[in-house]
Amino acid sequence: MIGNETGLSKKDTEQLLATMTAILRENLMAGKTIQIQGIGTLEVKERKERVIVHPKTGNRTVSPSKKQIAFKPVANMKDHLKKI
Amino acid sequence: MAEKLSWTELRRALASRAGVSEKSAGAFLNSFNAQLIEALKTEKQVKVNGLGTFKLQAVAARKSVNVKTGEEITIPGYNKIVFASEAGVKELVESNGEGRRANGERLEANGEGMENDPLKKLGVQAAEIVDILGELGQSPNAEANGERLEAKGEEPVVEPEPVVEPEPVVEIEPVVEIEPVVEPVKEEPQPEEPKKKKKHHFWRDTLICVVCLLIVLVIAFFFFRSEISSWIKSFVEENKTEIVVPAEEQETPVTVTEEATETPEIEQEPEVVIEPQVEPETAVEPDLSRYKGWIKTEEITEGSRLAWIAKKYYGHQRYWPYLYDANKDHLDNPNKIAIGTPIRVPKLTKAQKDTTTVEFLELKRIAEEAIK
Repeated sequence: MIGNETGLSKKDTEQLLATMTAILRENLMAGKTIQIQGIGTLEVKERKERVIVHPKTGNRTVSPSKKQIAFKPVANMKDHLKKI
Repeated sequence: MAEKLSWTELRRALASRAGVSEKSAGAFLNSFNAQLIEALKTEKQVKVNGLGTFKLQAVAARKSVNVKTGEEITIPGYNKIVFASEAGVKELVESNGEGRRANGERLEANGEGMENDPLKKLGVQAAEIVDILGELGQSPNAEANGERLEAKGEEPVVEPEPVVEPEPVVEIEPVVEIEPVVEPVKEEPQPEEPKKKKKHHFWRDTLICVVCLLIVLVIAFFFFRSEISSWIKSFVEENKTEIVVPAEEQETPVTVTEEATETPEIEQEPEVVIEPQVEPETAVEPDLSRYKGWIKTEEITEGSRLAWIAKKYYGHQRYWPYLYDANKDHLDNPNKIAIGTPIRVPKLTKAQKDTTTVEFLELKRIAEEAIK
């Protein structure tokens, strides 16, 4: 479908897609925030370590800090999709 | 983290890496975005292979309260976009870029389970992507890129680590046992927290316990006050009677001895002394005239006692001497009554219910003597 719009061959499109995701991934790995125009931003957020309590046993453990990819849609897009 | 990859940067990187002109790369990206939004609208879920899934999630309408006015308002339902990163990618982000090889391997693993993908193109071509990635890995440009990334990747790692110095403190503290999952590097800020909390909890718990106990005691006191006071009363009475009994007993011998000293006839005196002993024996024939009628005849059952019957019919166990008195004819020891023995329960007048009367005390004395 992308190919139809841009006039690229199927193989080219696939390659482009693959490289794009690869780039995005690498940048995310490096801890960068990625702006995708018209859609939103992909961001690596660090979740801090915290004490969690096992609800049944009451054991206290520390969940280690971790990194998560967070997505934040552009305001425009958000409103747009809200109404669907 | 402040670093941003802007749209133009992405376009440039894509163009250089895929060997396409920047213009076509831009066109591709724009078209990709459009596709993504369209797919989100129609399919509600878009999986971008090797990255993650965009989902359109419906949020149901809910009720809320206007904080200022207190009015109830309904927040209408809406849709929101949620992004969930792929499992492999998550790990990669965690590890902060360990290398391209692992990257490629993970991709392969990802590519296998992609059948539900709305953008099926991506799933089918997973193998190709791997190939491409492999090629990219070989090209010098990409390698340099990867190295750069690695270098960048290491920097943020270093930042959290320098805090390691206070580690010895951690080792001393025994609380570490609780968190076996945690690597020692990450521990420094935590061990104190749970400890404090634990201490805090311990004190709070004990406090709560003590307070609860006090409350229970106070409630119990108010609730059973009447019972307690009556108990105390009965105890006092028992003591009184016990005191009274010896007093009476003492009197008679005293008089006897006095008589003995006064009258030289010793032979007559034993008779006098015997008489009071005989009296209770003759009294074994119950003097039923004092009772105005009978409530019932109760049979002694297993576990039953005179005191219990007294409580049942008179409201308090302290009236048991009346029962003994009324059934003296066939009762020997009020504490040892054979099962099945019929017990006549006499009616008691108001005056008889007064446990301070001489009549009652006398009955009680007799009954208690029978126990001995």
